[in-house]
Amino acid sequence: MKLPRIRFEKRLTSPRWLPVASLAGGLALAMLTIAIIFAVLGVNPLVAFQRIFQGGFGSAYGLQETITKTIPLILAGVGLTLAFKGRMYNIGAEGQLLIGAIFATGIARAFPDWPSFLLIPALFIVGFLGGALWAAIPAVLKTRFRVDEVLTSLMLVYVANEAVKFLVYGPWRGSDTRGFPITDEFSAAAQIPSIKSTRIHYPTLIVAILLAILVYLLLTRTKLGYEIRVTGENPDASRYAGMDYQKIALLVMIISGGLAGLAGMGEVAGIHFRLRPPEAISPGYGFTAIIVAWLARLNPLAAILTSFLLGGLLVGGDAIQIALNLPAATVQIFNGVILLFVIASELFNQYKLRLEV
Amino acid sequence: MRKNFARLAMFAMAFMLVLSACGGAPTTAPAAEEPAAEAPAAEQPSQEETLKACFIYVGPIGDIGWTNAHDVGRRYVDDKYDWLETAYAESVPEADSERFIDRFVVEEKCHVVFTTSFGFMDATLAAAQKYPDNYFFHVSGYKRAPNMGTVMADFYQLYYLNGLMAGALTKSGKVGYVAAHPIPELVRHIDAFALGVREANPEATVEVNWIFAWYDPAKAREAAEALIANGVDVLAFTEDTATVVQVAEEYTAKGQPVYSFGHYSPMAQFGPNSLVSGQLVDWGILYEDILTKIHLGVYTTKNLETVDYWGLLSGGMNLGAPVSVHLGGDFDTPINPAFESQLKAVKINDPILGEISIYDLIFKRIEQMKDPAVLFDPFTGPINDQSGALKIQPGQRLTVFELNTIDWFVEGVIGKAKP
Repeated sequence: MKLPRIRFEKRLTSPRWLPVASLAGGLALAMLTIAIIFAVLGVNPLVAFQRIFQGGFGSAYGLQETITKTIPLILAGVGLTLAFKGRMYNIGAEGQLLIGAIFATGIARAFPDWPSFLLIPALFIVGFLGGALWAAIPAVLKTRFRVDEVLTSLMLVYVANEAVKFLVYGPWRGSDTRGFPITDEFSAAAQIPSIKSTRIHYPTLIVAILLAILVYLLLTRTKLGYEIRVTGENPDASRYAGMDYQKIALLVMIISGGLAGLAGMGEVAGIHFRLRPPEAISPGYGFTAIIVAWLARLNPLAAILTSFLLGGLLVGGDAIQIALNLPAATVQIFNGVILLFVIASELFNQYKLRLEV
Repeated sequence: MRKNFARLAMFAMAFMLVLSACGGAPTTAPAAEEPAAEAPAAEQPSQEETLKACFIYVGPIGDIGWTNAHDVGRRYVDDKYDWLETAYAESVPEADSERFIDRFVVEEKCHVVFTTSFGFMDATLAAAQKYPDNYFFHVSGYKRAPNMGTVMADFYQLYYLNGLMAGALTKSGKVGYVAAHPIPELVRHIDAFALGVREANPEATVEVNWIFAWYDPAKAREAAEALIANGVDVLAFTEDTATVVQVAEEYTAKGQPVYSFGHYSPMAQFGPNSLVSGQLVDWGILYEDILTKIHLGVYTTKNLETVDYWGLLSGGMNLGAPVSVHLGGDFDTPINPAFESQLKAVKINDPILGEISIYDLIFKRIEQMKDPAVLFDPFTGPINDQSGALKIQPGQRLTVFELNTIDWFVEGVIGKAKP
């Protein structure tokens, strides 16, 4: 007797409703799985979901915090939409974010007396440069030596991690921090202002949204954007058409790294006002940004929305630990299950399932 | 097709990273035994009277070390007082601590917030300024405000006593130290430990291996095994797991004796044949002291600027504060009886006490450190630094401030205080 075989067939065309349907299906299955876990833990799943939603989106405070978390996610996520569109699988946004934070700290330490109308633009510029530089390394390795950028960009995250640690434990350790591994506080001029009584550093938010629009226009309205899309969809075809693959690969990596660098700059200059150990700067924004980009189906404008959605889920997930006194592992499971199902649902956008008997 | 799956696998790997990154430290033993006991619905607080105290932990409460000790303290006060209600959040990433404090204050209506990691310092101070009517206590930091005090139970005296035992027990003359992060707290503890080691055995060295993590059992094991491979036969540590004790017990069971000292929580159970002693803390009585003083109105949101608990064997800086630190791998067992005869057999010549066994010296020193009239301190000169240069003049002592900011190793320590 032959068992039926499941075959995946690549879709040649896909209906417009499909992405929405597969996302909704993925979320529904994720919720069902999580509901079972909550029930096993003795928590009414409906109460838990209500608290998560309320924690992330349903209160003024939750909303503020969600927006605060959305800022670095938009920046890093939008950059990744561009890189992935050009088929550069940049997994190392987290490292680029940290190098951006280092560069910004360098400027804030070197020129504390500059007026803020000079210093803050300078922070944005060097933050971008830092991340761009870090992303250029895997790009050059890829275009010159055909080294897989997935590995190099990921490995460079750990190097960036160690670089931050080296600086805060070593030469940049503050003079008035009693030996703790943090730099001295930035001068007032180097602190990006926030909306009163929140942690929303609005200049960074505005820049993030503008950049999302710019990247969208770049992709859809320019010759370069067309080249990026063609290269991403079919590198061979782009080569036959005479497009400069090396230039495009380098460019998308530099922009995506630069945007991640801006995210790191925003965290140190907009929230912490000092460089701190890596885990205190970013709880993994660079990795979450991969999901932001994927969920947005590589559309930079949609990435604004998915950043907000994921930011809210993370904030709301934290809230249930406090509100329902659940172990921290529950929150990790919650986040993990959602991400897993959402990513898995992506499969159905590209492939058809067929049973063969 | 296959290549696409390889891509997918890569992404899956990245997502695993996201998961671990989102959640902070990994959790080995989630607190399943402690379900909804603290859920607000479970008790009926008599409105006005109830004080709500909330705790923010850096690690999982199942870490067997630092965070576990704090949680034992929290449960102690929670059980003891009807007017008290508590809640906690574990494995809180330092980047997100401000939000956790905000939620506790705004949504959970906590009156008192304890934050138990030095990385939470700035966030705690920011919250203290934002919520002037709430009480904040930061553990292991130095910033205070009218409504924010600091708490620490310091182990340097106990590390010195453990060092005496380590110096007496080492056969190779090499003692090892697995250390989390190069911050003053650890440098102070390593120095105190080395001072004890060298008092018992002036030729012995203390080799330090930094792991740059509070909670990472894999790194702790690697560091401990590397030290043993280097010839070390006694291990002390400052990090939040029982790994070093377990490694020492494994080697001892294999016939290569390696001795260890427990840290923070009772760890005797992990090393019945190899754990000599250790450092223990009873956060419960410190929390009890603080919370009852708030309850009675002794502490207000205006007078915490000078409240700094620095728990020592004598009760510490705050006059009348309870003794919160204890010697031993288990409460009420200062020294594992299996090592009693060995420690009694090793004798040294003390300039004041004359010939005395290490065993007797330990209890003499405890007495001296508890007695306000003597207040023996291990950091009394002459003390040289690693290069052999005289760092503390004969007869001089380090001040509390100097102890709190110490960034140099004493003679006999191998490793860098500022790596």
